[in-house]
Amino acid sequence: MSTQLTLQAPLDVPPAEVYPYLDRLWDHGLEGSTGAATFTLLIWEPSWLEQQMVRIGRIDGPIRGLERNDLLEAARLITADCDLPFSTAPMDPRLAWKVGQLAGQHEAQDLRGQFVPNAISVHTPRRLITLVPTLDAGRPLETMVAAYCPLPDEGGAGAACGDAIVLRGGMEALRQGLPLIQPLIGDDLPCWVWWNSSLDEPPEMLEALAPPPRRLVIDTSLGHPARCLDVLVARIEAGQAVNDLNWLRLRSWRESLAMVFDPPSRRDALAHVVQLDIDVEGDHPVKGLLLTAWMADRLGWHLIDSSTTEEPGGINAEFQRTDGTTVRFRQMPVPVGVPKAHPGAIVGLRLICEPPDRPPLCVILCSESGGCMRLESGGMAAMELVEEVVPLPEENEEMEMARLLGGGHDTTNPLLAASAPLAATILPR
Amino acid sequence: MTTLLTNPLRVGLRQERVITPQCIVIFGASGDLTHRKLVPALFELFRQRRLPSEFAVLGCARRPWSDEEFRSKMGAALADEIADHPSAWEQFSQGLFYEPVDLQQADHLVRLGQRLEGIDRLRATRGNRTFYLSVSPEFYGSGCRALAAAGLLADAERSRVVIEKPFGRDYGSAQQLNKVVQACAKESQVFRIDHYLGKETVQNILVMRFANTIFEPIWNRNYIANVQITAAETVGVEDRAGYYEGSGALRDMVQNHLTQILALTAMEPPGRFDAEAIRNEKAKVLQAARLANEEEPWKCCVRGQYSSGGSRARPLSGYRQEPGVNANSTTETYVAMKLFINNWRWQGVPFYLRTGKRLPKRLSEVVLTFRQAPVHLFDAAGGAPTPNQLILRIQPDEGAEIKFEVKAPGSGMRSRPVDMGFSYDDSFGEPSDEGYVRLLADAMLGDPTLYTRSDEVEAAWRLYTPLLELIEEAPWQLPVHPYEARTWGPAAADSLLGDDGLGWRRP
Repeated sequence: MSTQLTLQAPLDVPPAEVYPYLDRLWDHGLEGSTGAATFTLLIWEPSWLEQQMVRIGRIDGPIRGLERNDLLEAARLITADCDLPFSTAPMDPRLAWKVGQLAGQHEAQDLRGQFVPNAISVHTPRRLITLVPTLDAGRPLETMVAAYCPLPDEGGAGAACGDAIVLRGGMEALRQGLPLIQPLIGDDLPCWVWWNSSLDEPPEMLEALAPPPRRLVIDTSLGHPARCLDVLVARIEAGQAVNDLNWLRLRSWRESLAMVFDPPSRRDALAHVVQLDIDVEGDHPVKGLLLTAWMADRLGWHLIDSSTTEEPGGINAEFQRTDGTTVRFRQMPVPVGVPKAHPGAIVGLRLICEPPDRPPLCVILCSESGGCMRLESGGMAAMELVEEVVPLPEENEEMEMARLLGGGHDTTNPLLAASAPLAATILPR
Repeated sequence: MTTLLTNPLRVGLRQERVITPQCIVIFGASGDLTHRKLVPALFELFRQRRLPSEFAVLGCARRPWSDEEFRSKMGAALADEIADHPSAWEQFSQGLFYEPVDLQQADHLVRLGQRLEGIDRLRATRGNRTFYLSVSPEFYGSGCRALAAAGLLADAERSRVVIEKPFGRDYGSAQQLNKVVQACAKESQVFRIDHYLGKETVQNILVMRFANTIFEPIWNRNYIANVQITAAETVGVEDRAGYYEGSGALRDMVQNHLTQILALTAMEPPGRFDAEAIRNEKAKVLQAARLANEEEPWKCCVRGQYSSGGSRARPLSGYRQEPGVNANSTTETYVAMKLFINNWRWQGVPFYLRTGKRLPKRLSEVVLTFRQAPVHLFDAAGGAPTPNQLILRIQPDEGAEIKFEVKAPGSGMRSRPVDMGFSYDDSFGEPSDEGYVRLLADAMLGDPTLYTRSDEVEAAWRLYTPLLELIEEAPWQLPVHPYEARTWGPAAADSLLGDDGLGWRRP
């Protein structure tokens, strides 16, 4: 994705001077512009993996904090050196931690917070505040400020501008810098908080950055599964608007499954599901559980029991349909050669329905990037078979984020709100 | 009768754009369109949870109704829907208000502004307003002027104006109206509605063409022999004689609906999917369109008027016998015509348009007939191979169909035509929204993609100017041929294609 630099080189401003500097900037430096009446975007951007990979020299700097292909490629290659399974997703926080154990002292410029992805800048955030913790835990707090004006593709730049503020330093310094943030956010515009990191990170930082009514964006594929779901559910139950990028990445699966049952001739089969199997990459179950919970919620299934499978990493569950019939569910991890960027990507799904007076229906959805041999094997000869390939959206985190910002979603998606608590219940503890 | 189950996995999947808090102000609120289309469409949007909670509908007309009277009249018009969704109506109707307004009275506009400010406070609509001019066309210009004079269109970001059809009566009046409207508001604030563009199947023309690689390479003069666009109605003039007598089928259907379908069918691919890119291409193709014979337009156009017909059990009166119609009326209820598009893609390909009232079927469709195979290797069951056709069914039975030749079973090598079809019902099973639902939502979102831009409207009128002038100045050269009600139009219309060795598709 092309990125935009800020309008001016970011200026180092002492922390205490940030607010007065911004006042001066808008009063004098950007005369004629009132600033975009849009929203504030606050980003927690540790980019641990990128920082570590630059440090050990596996990728070149500068550190930008954006999802980049060379980082993903390098991360897939380094998993073996780190004694991790090949199926480990590049964004798995365990990989960043393991890379952190490797030796290296390369340095690079740190430009995090100074690049605004086009996809986001078209929504003209009024203020971008990026917190960028450094590997050096003792580094003091630095604050940088710049103005930016999104440049439309076809010229005709409008007067609506924003500003970008970067807070950089070690964790302790950033904690001490937290009081700076509230006055920068203000109450007159909505504020989105993008927790662009693992949910296993110190909870007090998340609590400090994302109190209601700020709209929180998290990624439940990053962090311990129970912690991810607990954070999500807690925020939903507290009434906060929360969005989950892991849930958004399920879009093509939900759409593909719905599409199978769009023809009226197949609708009735949905009331007669008896078995659901899902294969996921690696050992992160949350995405598969969110998909299962969505189906269970939509089809009115009641969870009876869940447990781990004898084979490691799997989950068994039993649901009861509204007519009392049991639905068996199994989710299994499967090894893959080239894992997707985020842990727990879905590889395939099999749904078996047994409508009365008709042959059973077997629906197999398979990710376009891999095979579904396990799901395609055994016992389906007498069934009506529907096989579909689920496309992989060519979208990265910034584009998903931009979609959220563009949609103006100021509440939790009701489907997510219904699915997350159920997914948390299915997860064996 | 079977009950169609909804697809529970489909619920909530559509990521709808969010309409900002808004007050929609309907001028002409006592008219038919308001209770037949506009308020039902808004209620549907509300039921689909696509309206924000901070919304209001302010009906305006000269009648001295109160808010309660307006709610009650709208409620009566929506009785069936309300019976199914009483609590939704309860909530929705809280947002319905009424203000007696005569757009020609400046003090009424001042009062309207004050009322809107009150509604902003009451319903938190934040000054976002969509003004819908559902008034008599002669008031479009003065209505815009009045709104602008009262300062109600001053904020280009927060105020929009929707103008119903017909936008002008001819090229000159459309130009004049555009000038007036553009003096009152920026083009980005002006939404000229053509409800045909709200139909899923009309929008599907764009998707069929530009989301598939199989169609676009053959969508040109090298492969397509001719294009037929039909919009047939079974109804007569009904209670619209007052309007229709001064309009006729050419102004009522061809200049807007059929021309929009023509533009979508013939336009070049836009560089991207946004309002300006699409409307640029539509305007360009309309600017390249010409009557097949501009010097002698009577040779490429046929007008008709339905006469009595039907069966003994259900006799149908002729147009001139309809209530409110002049007994000697020469208003056309049927038009067929031949056009060309002078550009690289379509040079030499005839486009045949027809529309009429009291025809045997209600249907709208686009039929692209492909060129014959260069060599006929096989005997055809019908004597000669049927040319391939792609049929885009806009209504009813929405879908698409491809006709092609296959080997007829048996020992010989005879070919016969078959159909390969796609039906919205079979594939999706969901009724599509009424056009106004989509279009009202788009207007409130500020998305003009499905609305016509000033240059499109003018290009459409310019295209038919030779015909309109002829009807005005030498109507005997373009006579109105009578046709029996519930037949496919006058014989002269068949000759229009017959002279080219073709015939209308009989749907």
